[in-house]
Amino acid sequence: MSAKALDLPRASSPLHDRPHVRRLDQVDPFLLIATVLLIAYGLVMTYSVTAESRTFTGDPMQFVVRGSIWAALGVAAMVAVALFDYAWLGTLAPLIYAFMLGLLGVVLAIGRESLGAQRSVNLGGLSFQFSEVAKVLAIVVLAKYFADRGDRIGSPLTIAGGLVLLGPPVYLVYKQPDLGTSLVFVAIFFGIAFMAGARVWQLTGLIAIAGGAFPLIWSLLKPYQQARLTAFLDPYADPQGAGWNIIQSLIAVGSGAATGKGLTAGTQSPLGYLPIAESDFVFAGLAEDLGFVGAVILFALYVVLLFAALRIAFRSRDAFGMLLGSGIVAMLLFQILVNVGMAISLMPVTGIPLPFISHGGSSLVSICFALGVLQSVSMRRAAPELG
Amino acid sequence: MRSEERAFVRPKRFVAMGLAIIVVFTTLTVRLWDLQVVNGAHYRSLAEQNRVLRIPVAAERGNIVDRNGYVLARNIPGFAVTVLPIDLPRAKQQDLASKLGAIVGRDPADVMTVIDQQRARNPYEPVKISTKPVAREVALVLSERPELFPSVRVEAESIRSYVDATLYAPVLGYVGPITEEELEAQRDEGYLPTDIIGRTGLERQYERYLRGTYGWREIERDAAQREIKTLSFKPPVAGNNIVLTIDDRLQKLLDSELRKGVEEDRFTQAVGVAMNPQNGEILAMVSIPGYDNNWFVQGITPEQMKSLNSDDRHPLVNKAVGDIYPPGSTFKMVTALSALTAGTATRNTVVNVSSMVMTVSGSNFYDWRAHGPLNLVDGYAHSSDIYFYTLAGGGPMGPGITPVGPENISKYGHMLGFGEPTGIDLPGEAKGIMPDPAWKLATFDEEWTIGNTYHEAIGQGYVAVTPIQLLDAYSAVANGGTLYTPHLLKEVRDSNGNVVYTQAPKITRKLAMKPEDLATIREGARKVVTSGHAPMPNAKLPIAGKTGTAEFGDSTGKDSAGRNKLGFHNWFVSFLPQQDNTDPTAQIAMVVFTFDSSKGLCETCLNPAIAISQRVYEAYVLGDKKP
Repeated sequence: MSAKALDLPRASSPLHDRPHVRRLDQVDPFLLIATVLLIAYGLVMTYSVTAESRTFTGDPMQFVVRGSIWAALGVAAMVAVALFDYAWLGTLAPLIYAFMLGLLGVVLAIGRESLGAQRSVNLGGLSFQFSEVAKVLAIVVLAKYFADRGDRIGSPLTIAGGLVLLGPPVYLVYKQPDLGTSLVFVAIFFGIAFMAGARVWQLTGLIAIAGGAFPLIWSLLKPYQQARLTAFLDPYADPQGAGWNIIQSLIAVGSGAATGKGLTAGTQSPLGYLPIAESDFVFAGLAEDLGFVGAVILFALYVVLLFAALRIAFRSRDAFGMLLGSGIVAMLLFQILVNVGMAISLMPVTGIPLPFISHGGSSLVSICFALGVLQSVSMRRAAPELG
Repeated sequence: MRSEERAFVRPKRFVAMGLAIIVVFTTLTVRLWDLQVVNGAHYRSLAEQNRVLRIPVAAERGNIVDRNGYVLARNIPGFAVTVLPIDLPRAKQQDLASKLGAIVGRDPADVMTVIDQQRARNPYEPVKISTKPVAREVALVLSERPELFPSVRVEAESIRSYVDATLYAPVLGYVGPITEEELEAQRDEGYLPTDIIGRTGLERQYERYLRGTYGWREIERDAAQREIKTLSFKPPVAGNNIVLTIDDRLQKLLDSELRKGVEEDRFTQAVGVAMNPQNGEILAMVSIPGYDNNWFVQGITPEQMKSLNSDDRHPLVNKAVGDIYPPGSTFKMVTALSALTAGTATRNTVVNVSSMVMTVSGSNFYDWRAHGPLNLVDGYAHSSDIYFYTLAGGGPMGPGITPVGPENISKYGHMLGFGEPTGIDLPGEAKGIMPDPAWKLATFDEEWTIGNTYHEAIGQGYVAVTPIQLLDAYSAVANGGTLYTPHLLKEVRDSNGNVVYTQAPKITRKLAMKPEDLATIREGARKVVTSGHAPMPNAKLPIAGKTGTAEFGDSTGKDSAGRNKLGFHNWFVSFLPQQDNTDPTAQIAMVVFTFDSSKGLCETCLNPAIAISQRVYEAYVLGDKKP
């Protein structure tokens, strides 16, 4: 009986899944613990950098309360998604793709302007950044696309097809304009294509073409984006202007020194030297308050999370699950690199949130959704003892 | 079977992805280590500079008072306009400079330069834009419209005020803005670009006592440069007050007598100094014309500066210490003491001045009359030139007398303080000339002649003194042989009135001279007044002294004030013993020097210094408060 059951092609269909009890055993504990700790870390940092900000409402905890609600929603979404077999996502991929483009279109049509860009949409008093959701949906779509083409992965046509899928969302996000997030889409594409087995020369060729087209891309950039790039190269050329954010961020990070000034004890953020300290420059606030030690603890949590995700991808029962995990790893790694790199002047200034730590519901819930999918992959992986 | 089924997993790519994760976090960690651990202190100070602004709080400069507490220099409140360059966006600098320039009455280009210089030096330190204090209404306009005047601060500023202005200007000097070079040299002592510093006179001499110590107010400010709160406050420490040895009453008596003489056109310029011979305390010091030192404090105008510089009476020079003149017959004291001390003459050495002309080596040397036989006391009292020619260089009217010679006169002249600064506590003291043959050879490459000796014997020729030197030397005679260093500082008190320093008498040297010889000079000096050269009708006090006439300068034309230049100038240097005897008890000595007060070298001509001295002594000592 048992031997016969083992012969069932259970990996091929979501309808023939193993019992829930068995699957709960295979929830990845490292991923789970790192996720919970990072969410908590994010709330602590939200508290720390907003505690002293002089808000009109006068409620020092308003950011923390809002962050907690989003965290609860995120955890709920993660649990819910984990309970479903991720294979459904593959089945629904075309619909998801259409839905994603719809979301991005809506942003352009009715989005609210903030800091010169249309990035969020108001729904029932809450503001959503649909591009954050779209990134995760793009992972699903691209993972499905490459998973289905495992046997033709070496073909340039496969890559070209992926680029065709990638183009519209990148364009729509770029039009918001949100150069940083559109680059996240590109990073996801490269991550998934690479892990799917795309030829390295094809991928490097694409990068080379992009490099060759740099003058063209430069001319398409808006003046403030060009200013950010030149300021990155020499922030002190215009210390009161384009270089201001970079310099103040460096001062915040550096002044944190080894052990930091203490929670809420930083000065750069509450006195307004550090711009948008709760989101884009949250890492600078963290490094100022908690110092090198706090930053390294954060990095350690990220490393645990990313390697757990990579392990889940490695042990996935199918290519779709493996590429979902790879896409998530690529997205998170790219965002961390760019956001932290920006705070310490290794990267130009772009508005990419730092996963878990930046205050922002759309980002947190989207990431939780993605990690729920990843747990779903983990729970439905090929049992190694049976291999 | 498994490998085929799981061909979608490419282990090398996983390894590559894992490596990418490691590389990313290693890079970020290394960079953070550099920023936070290696350079943390640097960035922390940058963060503090962002956040914390240290604003200096100026300390009151100490007052200057006379020996009885009468205030001579004090501070009155006003307002200074400063700019903090770090708060001033470059784009707005031009606009602000032209606005501020109009308000404080300064060329906008100057204002631009000043701000630029401070920006280069230290943009976190304020730089003063106003050259003189601005009115309260202007201060209000500036401080109430910060949006129109970014980076501008209006701070209470104490302005120096000299109560009697011209009367004390030669002594007190004045304060003024610190110069670039001084700031460079004295930055370690806590000077700031906005500082004022004592420029001349006692203000400069005692800068270290008068100047207070800055306090600091540390404020926290946000990125919009709004002040959030005061973090700490260190109150300034006011400068110490200085008590002078000057007695304002005597100063005003002396000044009013001298000024009246100038106004009545009896002379064109004047110096009067009084001192206590027993300790070197200066009781009064007048130099006319002076200048209004408040001009400098309030920002001197080019017209004012021009009027001072073009005045050929040099009002900016304190002539009591800063200029040198032939001492005339007052110098006979030196010739006499040289002869007495060297042993070539005694009180009773007689020269028979049988003619008013003495011929030596074919040259004629004159006296003002044929006195007949004179001993030293009478020769001094009647100011016989031939008597002192003979003591110094020998001559036909005193055939048995050994000449004391120019070397001895120079030696004892130096002993009495001539040819060297007295060391009085004022800047710019001249040292005078106390010549001898070697000096002449070195200076003019000429041999000393007998004529030089004769001229020197009566205080003409090369010898040149400052009034303070002459007074100091006579004081040493008056006190029985101690040459004191004259001084104006009596004591230093902190702002609470506690004495923190008392100036003890400073002895330059004890004269290597016999007390009886000094007594002989005192006897002669008293006789100058009682039966000699300086008659004092209705004298109420036993004043002793010596007249002198100095010949130098133009005797034609008019000076800047439109008065005639005469070329002859009168001295009277005197002291007042406690009783009418030769005991060295004088508590007050005085020198009065009047410019352009004679038309010729006539010893009988009116010497206005005598009557002035008499009136001042009598009014001061006998309590006549009327100046």
